[in-house]
Amino acid sequence: MQSKKWVFMFLGCLLSLPLLLMAVNYVVDPFGVFGHMTWYSFSETLNPRVAKTTYLKEHWQEYDSYLVGCSSTSSYPVEALNEYLDASFYNTISYGVDMKDAEETVRWLLDNCTVRNIVLNIYVDNGVTYDTGQDQLTLKLHEEVSGENPLTFYGGYLLADPNYAWDKLKDKAADTELSQPFDVFDEETGAYDKRARDVENIGDLDRYYEAYPVFTDYPVYPARMGEIETTMESVAAIRDMCEAAGVDLYVVCAPVYGEYLNTFTDEDLAAFYTALAEVTDYWDFTYSSVSWEPRYFYDSTHFRNAVGDMALARMFGDDSVYIPEDFGAYVTAENAADHVKTLTNRTGGLDDSGYTCEVPVLMYHHIAEEGDGGVTISAACFEEQMAALSEAGYTAVGLEDLYAYVEEGTPLPEKPILITFDDGYESNYTIAWPVLEKYDMQAVIFTIGVSVGKDTYKDTGTAITPHFSYEEAREMAESGVISIQSHTYDMHQSAQLDESPARTSAVPLKGESEEDYMAAFLSDMERSMSEILEGVGEPVTAMAYPNGDYTTLSQALCRELGLKATFTTEARTNVLVKGLPQCLYGMGRYNVEEISGEALLDLIEG
Amino acid sequence: MSFTSLTFLVFLGVLVVLYYLVPRKFQWVLLLLASYAFYLWGGGKTVVYLLITTCTTYLAGRLLGALNSRLKALPAEERKARKPAFDRKKKQVVLAACLLNFGLLYILKYWSFTAEVINNASGLHLPAPDLLMPLGVSFFTFQSISYVIDCYRGKYAPQENLGRYALFVSFFPQIIQGPIARYDQLGPQLLGEHKLSWDQLKYGIQLCMWGYFKKLVIAERIGVMVNAVFSDVWGYSGSIMAAAVLGYSIQLYCDFSGGIDITRGVGQMLGIEMAENFRRPLFALSLTEYWRRWHITLGAWMRDYVFYPIALSKGFRKLGSFARKHFGGVMGKIFATSMATFVVYFVIGIWHGANFRYIAYGFYNGGLITAGLLLEPTFVKLRERIPIRWDGKAWHFFQMARTSLIVFVGRYMTRAPRLLTALAMIRATVTDFQLQSLTDGTLLSFGLTAFDYWVVALGMVVVTAVEWYQEKGGHVRKWMEGRSAVVQWAMVMIPLLVIVLLGAVGQGYVAAEFIYAQF
Repeated sequence: MQSKKWVFMFLGCLLSLPLLLMAVNYVVDPFGVFGHMTWYSFSETLNPRVAKTTYLKEHWQEYDSYLVGCSSTSSYPVEALNEYLDASFYNTISYGVDMKDAEETVRWLLDNCTVRNIVLNIYVDNGVTYDTGQDQLTLKLHEEVSGENPLTFYGGYLLADPNYAWDKLKDKAADTELSQPFDVFDEETGAYDKRARDVENIGDLDRYYEAYPVFTDYPVYPARMGEIETTMESVAAIRDMCEAAGVDLYVVCAPVYGEYLNTFTDEDLAAFYTALAEVTDYWDFTYSSVSWEPRYFYDSTHFRNAVGDMALARMFGDDSVYIPEDFGAYVTAENAADHVKTLTNRTGGLDDSGYTCEVPVLMYHHIAEEGDGGVTISAACFEEQMAALSEAGYTAVGLEDLYAYVEEGTPLPEKPILITFDDGYESNYTIAWPVLEKYDMQAVIFTIGVSVGKDTYKDTGTAITPHFSYEEAREMAESGVISIQSHTYDMHQSAQLDESPARTSAVPLKGESEEDYMAAFLSDMERSMSEILEGVGEPVTAMAYPNGDYTTLSQALCRELGLKATFTTEARTNVLVKGLPQCLYGMGRYNVEEISGEALLDLIEG
Repeated sequence: MSFTSLTFLVFLGVLVVLYYLVPRKFQWVLLLLASYAFYLWGGGKTVVYLLITTCTTYLAGRLLGALNSRLKALPAEERKARKPAFDRKKKQVVLAACLLNFGLLYILKYWSFTAEVINNASGLHLPAPDLLMPLGVSFFTFQSISYVIDCYRGKYAPQENLGRYALFVSFFPQIIQGPIARYDQLGPQLLGEHKLSWDQLKYGIQLCMWGYFKKLVIAERIGVMVNAVFSDVWGYSGSIMAAAVLGYSIQLYCDFSGGIDITRGVGQMLGIEMAENFRRPLFALSLTEYWRRWHITLGAWMRDYVFYPIALSKGFRKLGSFARKHFGGVMGKIFATSMATFVVYFVIGIWHGANFRYIAYGFYNGGLITAGLLLEPTFVKLRERIPIRWDGKAWHFFQMARTSLIVFVGRYMTRAPRLLTALAMIRATVTDFQLQSLTDGTLLSFGLTAFDYWVVALGMVVVTAVEWYQEKGGHVRKWMEGRSAVVQWAMVMIPLLVIVLLGAVGQGYVAAEFIYAQF
């Protein structure tokens, strides 16, 4: 080949590269701007501003109300809002949204969608940043929202780094039911997919600090609020737009972790919240006793969904939900001056004595005349243990008491304890129940659905320890002493007696696909729950994991099934926190064997 | 403007087109404009230093030229009589030019170090302002001083046109990192008229691609790991430190030689052949040979403007006769030369930067090479007694490995943040190697995936294979010319895709600056 020809061939190859890149970006469409290979959850993770606009262009008919704001906006659950306002909310939350983004988003929503309500969430950081990130593919707004020249907008995404497209293909293959760092959004609600976060076992503070070390040594980087004026102009613009369109606007200031407020000077804080009151009335959750409780937050600037539930309950006067008294204030131009003082005169710190409670949980199995040195204990021993607990001042509470404490803040007795039995043995009916009644104690029995009323293994003729029947279960439940809950229907199989591979616990089998596992787990649990409801007459609200084995996915599935508590076999005392339902998930239990009453007290009192 | 930026590629494309479109007598003007545009883009205000060096060395050259021709114009007898006076004047001019330019270089590059050392030792508070280092200051200073000295020696007549001379000092492909050119070699090419040669253009493009491959795919990739380890060297085992130094050796070679390939490739595209700066240093059999293959133009500069002047100076001649008288034998003969050699490598060490570790680096190289020279007679005797094949492949391979090891140890000194750190790292490598930490996942905690390490390893296999082929006398580009059109197309498209996908994208086109630009 002649050199001249070679040079032209080279130029041809060189020019073909951008064309190739554009073709790849157009077809794979990682940012979700061209409407190909749609995977909104992934695209929204790359750039929520753009991908959510594309999503709404297709789905706007399904919604009539919108949440607008930065990442903390995600923690106001749309389900609660839908109920309070009888609406259908979509959360447009995008990380790092400043008020300019918010203003342009609201304008686009009003122009292009049916809108009844706008909830505008304002975070304290909005005083610091304004109009940032417009030139980055991962931060810019959709051209329809920002008014950017479509040529530069789409051109930018056509020429995007091919790694994004590659990631989309690679991540699609690695996609799982629960979110991963590449697909953090829930397509339908627009909020972060917090299913994993909402089943995280939170309780003991020391364990929490271990899991979230940021709260032990909280970094503070001082910042000045140079954008109060511009931010307020945008809030005013949003207010005026909503008013003109007849849309109800709710302005909310998000709860902020106490130490984070030290980022700002008192003058800036006062100026920010006063200026906001001059523009609009708003609900302020910025600072309260909640601000000092790290368990209500999951990182430096984000509060948990449960706190969002509390905030919404306060706003909409729902007194069925626990809300700390000082949480939330309605601020108007008139009371702003007084209100701001609570922000600038911040006192106090973490004091959880009023809203946390330690609850040990005991785990029993079969009770016989003679103990076997393992999980089967003797009747005499059981009675001795109950007597010891009673004498030591423990009150054996029921599940409903725990729920009421966490959800509504209803106090628990002084030394609460929860007694549980696994598997559903006949001896629970014949021996344990009378003893419990005698000592005025409640208990929970987790039954294995397939074994109810059986004394052979799944009718194979192989004898097993006898299990009580539904009639007996109903009798116990009606007494108010015993609550019958689930130990799965048939996910506690015997490795020896069942066909291989036996499901000895409720976690995936080796090599089982996520899809197959979910189907198996859900159908098993649904059967267990419906049989108990039918046989006992009471709904199932809790389950104990066979062998104590669980995964985040199994926890999330339980929550999807409507369960309020799950139990493991981790030997630790639980700390319940008012307003944090996830502290009832993955609760620890002490396995009780043939030990004296005194030894039992030692076990639970450490 | 970094070679690896998209801006540079556009700049280059536009320049090459214009270069062959403008009337040929204006080609040099275009190059001068382009060079200053290039320098202003990256160097900004520091262009002042470039102008100072250009003007002062230009003037010195003119003065020296004038003195030379005035002397030459004198009648033979008078010439002889007045020569010493002329020589004195010429020396003054050279001295002034050197003092001014090296003084400037010293202040910019070494003053803060000197001040720190003096302050620490004496408790004084000499100010050490953080001066903005002009791009490529070491390179253009050395290049223009060589011009002044050549004018002094009467090697060629000075350039009379300031603009033409300015182009020699500022020629953009080489201003950041060399090669350090000589006026008689580069000047005529820069100022000459160039007709478009498709062959040259093709070779230039190919050489650039090879350079980009080494820089972007290999050097920048392994650099991530090197930086991660060296940003916090403590707490790693010796094997990780050794891996980081190996990584750095790869990074340095691929970055520097890749950069030079781009420089020379750009030159070829413009019809200008620049001096070779690397000749496959991996295949060097001795440290001396290594320095003749690595950064060749710096070594040559040192030879011509440091070694010879010292070795031929009166003082050294006296030292030579002293040595011959007192040491006798071979030692007496080579002692003075060895000392001059030591000085050269010591200066090369310091040339790299102001820090004790570079001084140590100078001692290390100078010491080893000088020791080698001094012990040469002993080696010769030893060799005669040991009956192995001294010209066999095994021995050559051993020599290559030995040289690489010596160079490798030296790299600890050029990369560690401090001399003491370098020494501690060398000690850890020897006393606390812990081979298992190479496989326990530590290597994956530095920002590189296993895939990245594979890319670097395979990249080095390709580089070594090509260099081996060249070492054997092969011509890769000639070899390619004989292939079919499809193969040639593939040999363009595949490397392009490799460079773009494994080198350019994913780093957001954040152009990494040349490592050597800081020296």
